[in-house]
Amino acid sequence: MLDSPPPTAVRRRLRQGRDRLATALITAGGIGVIAALLAIGIFLAVEVVPLFWPTGDSSAISPEALWGVGEDAGEAADEAIRHRWAPTASLAPGETPRISLAPLAWGTLEAAAWALAIAVPLALGAAAHSSLFMSRRLRSRLKPTLELMEALPGVVVGFVAGLVLAPWVERHLAEVVACLVLLVPGLLLAGGLRSWLPAPWREALPLGWAGLWLVPWLALVLAASVWLAPWLEAVAFDGDLRRFLELRLGLDIAVRNALIVGAAMGFAVMPSVYALAEDALSGVPASLAEGAQALGATRWQTLWRVVLPAASPGIFSAVMIGAGRAVGETMIVLMASGNAALMTLNPLDGLRSLAATIAIELPEAGPGGMHYQLLLLAALALFVFTFLVNTLAELVRTRLRRRYQRLGGGS
Amino acid sequence: MREASSRRLRLPRGEGAGAWLCAGSVALSLLALLALLALLTVRGLGHFWPSPVELVVLEDGRQLAGERIREVPLARGDGVERLYRTGNRDLDGDRWAWVRVAAIEAVSHPVDLVVLERRRWGQAIGRLAAFQAASGERIEGEAAWAALEARLDELTALRDARDRLREEVILPLAARRGDEGLADGELTAAHGRLRELQAAMAGGRLILDTADGDSLSVPLEQVLGARRPNAMSTLDRLAAWGEGVWRFLSEGPRAANTAGGVWPAIFGTVLMVMLMSILVTPFGVLAAIYLNEVAHQGRLTRLVRIAVRNLAGVPSIVYGVFGLGVFVYGIGGRLDRWFFEASLPSPTFGTGGLLWASLTLALLTLPVVIVATEEGLARIPDQQREGALALGATRLEMLSQVVLPMAAPAMLTGVILAVARAAGEVAPLMLVGVAKLAPQVPVDGDFPFLHLERKFMHLGYHIFDAAFHGGDVQAAMPLVYATALLLVLVILVLNLTAIFLRHHLSTRHGALTRR
Amino acid sequence: MPLVKEQRSSPDSAAIIDFPPEASSLAIRGLSLAYGDKPALNDLTLRVPRHRVTAFIGPSGCGKSTLLRVLNRLHDLNDEVVREGEVLLEGEDIHAPEVSVAELRRRVGMVFQSPNPFPMSIHDNVAFGLRLQGGLSKRKRDDIIEWALRSAALWDEVKDRLRASAWSLSGGQQQRLVIARTLAVGPEVLLLDEPASALDPISTLKIEELIRNLKSHLTLVLVTHNMQQAARVSDYTAFLQHGELVEYAPTDTLFTNPRLARTENYITGRMA
Repeated sequence: MLDSPPPTAVRRRLRQGRDRLATALITAGGIGVIAALLAIGIFLAVEVVPLFWPTGDSSAISPEALWGVGEDAGEAADEAIRHRWAPTASLAPGETPRISLAPLAWGTLEAAAWALAIAVPLALGAAAHSSLFMSRRLRSRLKPTLELMEALPGVVVGFVAGLVLAPWVERHLAEVVACLVLLVPGLLLAGGLRSWLPAPWREALPLGWAGLWLVPWLALVLAASVWLAPWLEAVAFDGDLRRFLELRLGLDIAVRNALIVGAAMGFAVMPSVYALAEDALSGVPASLAEGAQALGATRWQTLWRVVLPAASPGIFSAVMIGAGRAVGETMIVLMASGNAALMTLNPLDGLRSLAATIAIELPEAGPGGMHYQLLLLAALALFVFTFLVNTLAELVRTRLRRRYQRLGGGS
Repeated sequence: MREASSRRLRLPRGEGAGAWLCAGSVALSLLALLALLALLTVRGLGHFWPSPVELVVLEDGRQLAGERIREVPLARGDGVERLYRTGNRDLDGDRWAWVRVAAIEAVSHPVDLVVLERRRWGQAIGRLAAFQAASGERIEGEAAWAALEARLDELTALRDARDRLREEVILPLAARRGDEGLADGELTAAHGRLRELQAAMAGGRLILDTADGDSLSVPLEQVLGARRPNAMSTLDRLAAWGEGVWRFLSEGPRAANTAGGVWPAIFGTVLMVMLMSILVTPFGVLAAIYLNEVAHQGRLTRLVRIAVRNLAGVPSIVYGVFGLGVFVYGIGGRLDRWFFEASLPSPTFGTGGLLWASLTLALLTLPVVIVATEEGLARIPDQQREGALALGATRLEMLSQVVLPMAAPAMLTGVILAVARAAGEVAPLMLVGVAKLAPQVPVDGDFPFLHLERKFMHLGYHIFDAAFHGGDVQAAMPLVYATALLLVLVILVLNLTAIFLRHHLSTRHGALTRR
Repeated sequence: MPLVKEQRSSPDSAAIIDFPPEASSLAIRGLSLAYGDKPALNDLTLRVPRHRVTAFIGPSGCGKSTLLRVLNRLHDLNDEVVREGEVLLEGEDIHAPEVSVAELRRRVGMVFQSPNPFPMSIHDNVAFGLRLQGGLSKRKRDDIIEWALRSAALWDEVKDRLRASAWSLSGGQQQRLVIARTLAVGPEVLLLDEPASALDPISTLKIEELIRNLKSHLTLVLVTHNMQQAARVSDYTAFLQHGELVEYAPTDTLFTNPRLARTENYITGRMA
């Protein structure tokens, strides 16, 4: 019999020592890296503190000033003047600085809300389609494609939105309205037409691949709406939509406005909402859906009555993640919003977000000054908001996963 | 009743309106993505295609020559307006001309129209009236074009020779000057040769007659290229297109970022991303190993794991603020006071630069790498770890010889995703070190060769800057399109690699679990 | 090996066989173990005879696999484990602070339920443990690899494709490869945790034959839920229930003439 020689004691001790050293290094390094990451929040909080607790030469500012200049600002108690962001404006002695973060927070939330208004229906529709109807092969291709869409840099999307889409929309308001109006009927028409087609044609256009063959159809519908737009404008909007909006509805129209930002950011946010929502929908145990279908429900009824309620926490967390992304997105808002700090409900007006303000003003603000600290406060607000929203989403998702396991195990 | 139920059986059950709207949202998203990519591709690549030059005669007798750009309907349906790029900014003060289509009397494509690419003032368009050689000899007519082409080729060859001489002979000689007496003589000879080349390049000019009757005299050293687009065959155009693309990729920007290429931006982006991956890979992997293999798997670790995941969702601009406050003002300011006091108050490290930008982006992408690596580690079955331990391996040996090799593809995926994210990220760079125009790339022959404190150019920021801060946005647009296309291509390729790797990974692990 | 005295001090321990220290390679004394607040083993005391096959049987969750993992100190991986009592390998406490875990695991090898070859070639799998020990010439190492593969009755099947991936082998071959890999580092004790439960009947027979052959120079401890298998290959059998040692006797005695009703009920399938 052959036997390996027992290892020498020296070597054994060497190996043991190396192991202990490596473990210590990994522990130290790991804790260090994680601490550095978590230091971001601490840094922001510490830098912002002097704003509220004066230290020597600098005076503290009141929380009210961050909301807006009070009634004492004079006769101009107009909303637009009261909430004003002009931290670098020179002040007459005794005047309160105009450092209201309210218009910036408003702009951030408005942009995010429009982005979600566009992204959420698209993403949920796409998720529902791909988890219920789509053929497996197309689905395995669609996911990476939408991942690529998510990876498109914000600066490119912002450029296209701000310099290509915005001027085009400004010149072609009626066409845009026509596209929006005709989009839904156009899709329904496709479904209707298909059911009238002879069977071999219908089989060539299966619902499982509708996501793909509807693309040229949609392009056709959009082209048709552009062609129909002048007629629509003449009939419904007195021949000039722009004047109609300005006179009848009293809406100012800015080239770069909240809707453009919403469309661009909706495009950017949609893939991440889709990915999470799709995970939630396809994670619903198959037994549930099969049970409903065995009772005679169509796939659509199954989705609406069974799958969607079961997956609702996952969908909620998908929307939350989308909100977190939309609030923090900088370049798209910076390039497509016009950056005017307004507080209006008009979706055709410009806006200015916290993130864009930081990007524009922080390089000019000297470290340690009030302006600098205010911008850091804005960054802290973004950090806290996104962190909380993401944590909420994560907690909901974890709970959902446990629920699925229970459901799956019970079946 | 009976009839109705049998009908329902015969007809394929409709899925209702909702199903079509859902399918439509997939189609709409794909359409938007396709439209965006198509727009970038067509505009980005189309710019380099030598488009024909039109000679337009207007009703009032004025003439102009230019490339047709686009048409826009006038307000209230008064016909259509057309935009021409006419060049000759030094003469007219503008390189664009809007023309009402109704006012155009005739459009022709004369073959003898010449488009000049100049160092300053951008393009010039006109007929070549005369070519004046350095010797003063003046050639007119068709021969002038031939002479101009020959001379331009000659100049290109001379320029190449000069650059070669400078880089291969003079710089090495200058570097070891003083070592031996011999080098001095060689250096003088080389300088002599350089002067000869420069003399051979000097002189010469051409006279261009513009369409509206002016005359333009251009010194030859200002001319980068000349072509007659209307006389070119498709093959010629293809060649010119290829050359245009190559020059876009290999040259620096000119004319306030509205012309020229993006080479420094490519270089800056790649260098920054490389530095970032060198920083992020070891730290990210270390943190992931700690979290998954070493740390006590309790409540605290779970909390830390959620926090790290959430940090991936924190806006990039917040990381930029952190980078500016901690790296630039904090660490950089201190470094300046300790080591670079001589040059204060102008900051060395106390301002944005390559190092701080890389560090900030490394921090930004750290969660991506940690999460991807952790997922890879978690997917390795415990049996593999126990198998190694049962053979008497220490934890280090188990990790380095069994676990890490198996997790390598996951780590690589994480790093590639991090690189893709970093390459497209602009907002934090605006705070920590990107520059509008940085003529010096951060790598050169001076010690220490890699200048971590220098500002650098970045493709993404180049897009933002050229599109929003240029004087003539209209002129910069084609280059912005091209830059955007380049950036998107780089990021797509990186992401596709990651997707491929992940797919490969899942099939491999499929084999593992199938067993 | 002479069979020695049987303890008769208490009714339960009456059923527990004992061996003199010099004839046993492992001794377990008063071992209790809990995962957090869930007890898994309760005050176990037994000796494992040298160069014999000892089988642990019992219902799922009785603690037999946990016991095996203690002998190899694999429970060190789990932070929540609380342990009392001691385990002696050739008279040394394996939990003593000066003991190197890596060295202990080299001396006490372990084979798991489902085969776990590393994603390397067949040759590298067997060489893995040897390379960790170091200090061997390539020639010597190759000799050991051949010997280990022969001992595991795998050599003839793989000698022409030592460089092929270990994952290309069949399940039974993989399990024998894992045994060869463990044999190569020269263990004194081999722990087998249901080594054949994931295998087909023919592979199972091969593994069983291998186990019988290996006891000429190794102490083997086998955990199995397959009582026929325990009866076929082991010399002594211990029956565990609820983390306690119920009966421990020569295999023939235990299966044909169990002393306790609990054992008999389990063996004959009348388990509540």
